[in-house]
Amino acid sequence: MAANFWTSSHYKQLLEQEDVDVLHPLDKDKGITLEDFKLIKMHMANYICKLAQCIKVRQRVVATAVAYMRRVYTRKSMTEYDPRLVAPTCLYLASKAEESTVQARLLVFYLRKLCADEKYRYDEKYRYEIKDILEMEMKILEALNYYLVVFHPYRALSQLLQDAALNDINMTQLTCRGLVNDTYKMDLILVHPPHLIALACIYIASVLREKDTTAWFEELHVDMNAVKNISMEILDFYENHRMITDDRVIAALSKLNLKA
Amino acid sequence: MGDGNATNNRGLSSNNKPEWLQQYDLIGKIGEGTYGLVFLARIKSPTANRGKSIAIKKFKQSKDGDGVSPTAIREIMLLREISHENVVKLVNVHINHTDMSLYLAFDYAEHDLYEIIRHHRDKVSHGISQYTVKSLLWQLLNGLNYLHSNWIIHRDLKPSNILVMGEGDEQGVVKIGDFGLARIYQAPLKPLSDNGVVVTIWYRAPELLLGAKHYTSAVDMWAVGCIFAELLTLKPLFQGVEVKGTPNPFQLDQLDKIFKVLGHPTSEKWPTLVYLPHWQQDAQHIQGHKYENTGLYNTVHLSPKTPAYDLLSRMLEYDPRKRITASQALEHEYFRIDPLPGRNALVCQTGEKVNYPTRPVDTSTDFEGTTSLQPPQTVSSGNAVSGTMPGAHGGTMRSVPRQMAVGGMQRMQPQGMPAYNITSQAGMGGGMNPSGIPMQRGVPAQAHQQQLRRKDPGMGTNVYPPQQKSRRL
Repeated sequence: MAANFWTSSHYKQLLEQEDVDVLHPLDKDKGITLEDFKLIKMHMANYICKLAQCIKVRQRVVATAVAYMRRVYTRKSMTEYDPRLVAPTCLYLASKAEESTVQARLLVFYLRKLCADEKYRYDEKYRYEIKDILEMEMKILEALNYYLVVFHPYRALSQLLQDAALNDINMTQLTCRGLVNDTYKMDLILVHPPHLIALACIYIASVLREKDTTAWFEELHVDMNAVKNISMEILDFYENHRMITDDRVIAALSKLNLKA
Repeated sequence: MGDGNATNNRGLSSNNKPEWLQQYDLIGKIGEGTYGLVFLARIKSPTANRGKSIAIKKFKQSKDGDGVSPTAIREIMLLREISHENVVKLVNVHINHTDMSLYLAFDYAEHDLYEIIRHHRDKVSHGISQYTVKSLLWQLLNGLNYLHSNWIIHRDLKPSNILVMGEGDEQGVVKIGDFGLARIYQAPLKPLSDNGVVVTIWYRAPELLLGAKHYTSAVDMWAVGCIFAELLTLKPLFQGVEVKGTPNPFQLDQLDKIFKVLGHPTSEKWPTLVYLPHWQQDAQHIQGHKYENTGLYNTVHLSPKTPAYDLLSRMLEYDPRKRITASQALEHEYFRIDPLPGRNALVCQTGEKVNYPTRPVDTSTDFEGTTSLQPPQTVSSGNAVSGTMPGAHGGTMRSVPRQMAVGGMQRMQPQGMPAYNITSQAGMGGGMNPSGIPMQRGVPAQAHQQQLRRKDPGMGTNVYPPQQKSRRL
């Protein structure tokens, strides 16, 4: 259903982490490891975010685009569906689905602009033409099996923060702008219901800000184990994130360029 | 669409048809609009659904080189999530990668309210039976209640979008069609008006005509009221002449038509009226006029004491906040008195039945539309063709009315049907809204009309010129 998460295609298609962490045989053949796979997806989520900042579309569009991109790679190989084309195309498709349509020529203009900007180290492989985007749009629609509605933690988050009386600027900025946005660097949106992701972010934020939310969480009657597990995943991610360098991402992506 | 059907055409067969297309026998073209073309096809053997009729909507590639049209995206997005007996069923999506066209395959509905009303008005001497009117209305409300419970506003309800199934298991079942303008109204990022929407004005709610920025599901209920009256009288209730031009021109004539029947709205009855832009800006036009309240009951020939009249007048309530909702309407007394509404709206226990003609099919057109003789500008005019096609094309038309199977009628018990509780469904299953915080339902919007689907030559004198038909499935 379009508005009820529990009857939505999103809910019905939630995956187990094991099913998300599957390398496509074609990618395996190129020597891509599971770590590379995750790294590339994270890098592409960041890329979508940078593009979106240039084009000036809202965070929800970015979030939907990243979710599309991650869904595509549960079914398709990076070898056949080059992430450097899939990422901008997902943003393009998400902009239509989220009622903020971006023109393809504008998107392509910013693709070129980002390529030209040396500080980002996006090479020529990131350059695509309008025709490429439009062709890939159709392939992505197919790969998504035409399921386009994606629920995000943002709506639940603002309601939950308000309910917990934590909706001061400090908490809102930390949880919303910071933590929830960062969850899209992981595959959480494919695995967990969005409101649990929101709760995990509130949980982490309340610990960081030393707010006592124990009583409030108890009253919620949600699966606190799930919330704590998601929180742990997020914290693990931050821990590992320090070790990620541009060079590692570039090395992972360069495997894609190899002829099999 | 996840059913294992090949949805691509990378392997072209010897006869040069995409693989997916080979599962269908194309019968011909049944409609046309700004979005593209609609075809009738039958499923070939050996599938279980052999011979089943399918309506295939082909979306044109947008001219501006911007890929799949946002309208198609919205329609797919919504239809992929929803499932209800009274909502049209999307059975498949196909992509033709070579020409980048997109096809939506629906269960085919032989009839629609536009054709049913027209048939009674022009071909048979009597009105639509009470049973049929009530059954059509109940099912329409049932489908709409489902949509509204799921935060979807249709926004373009009109007789040609209300489909009715022909012979088969679902004979006489209503299907709400055409979701190209439908929206999830929880939190769109942009006002609906930014999409340059196209809606016929005859079914447009007064708050939109007066420039309201906030759409609510009440706009659909106004349209249902107009459709209800049209089923009763066979004439559009408020047939205003549309003002064209600027994105959202003020439709004075349409309001005039409404006021003539319902009387002038007042701020006592409709407190937020004074905040509506056109009520203030065009005060001398609107408020200066004095309207004799001719009385809705005179127009629709109903006694004010009847439940039918009571229901209709609640649908045509000026104040959108007081207007009856779909779920309330389903509980109305009108549906509890004889004749009770049934699942097959087209048959009736009195034996009184009408053989509605089948949809005209232009068999001279193929999926590419290549044999169409129409110049492109006619195609893009947004006018439907079904009315005008035969002459223009000289194509073979299948128009012999089919004998309708009688029997197998199932009765619905209105009180037995689950009434959706909107408030309980509004929260996302409890977990998403643990404190029951009311969610915002209205969205900022304006009914901008940039294009017209329905042309209105000779309006005013001519009820329903045939070329007005907008065939949208």
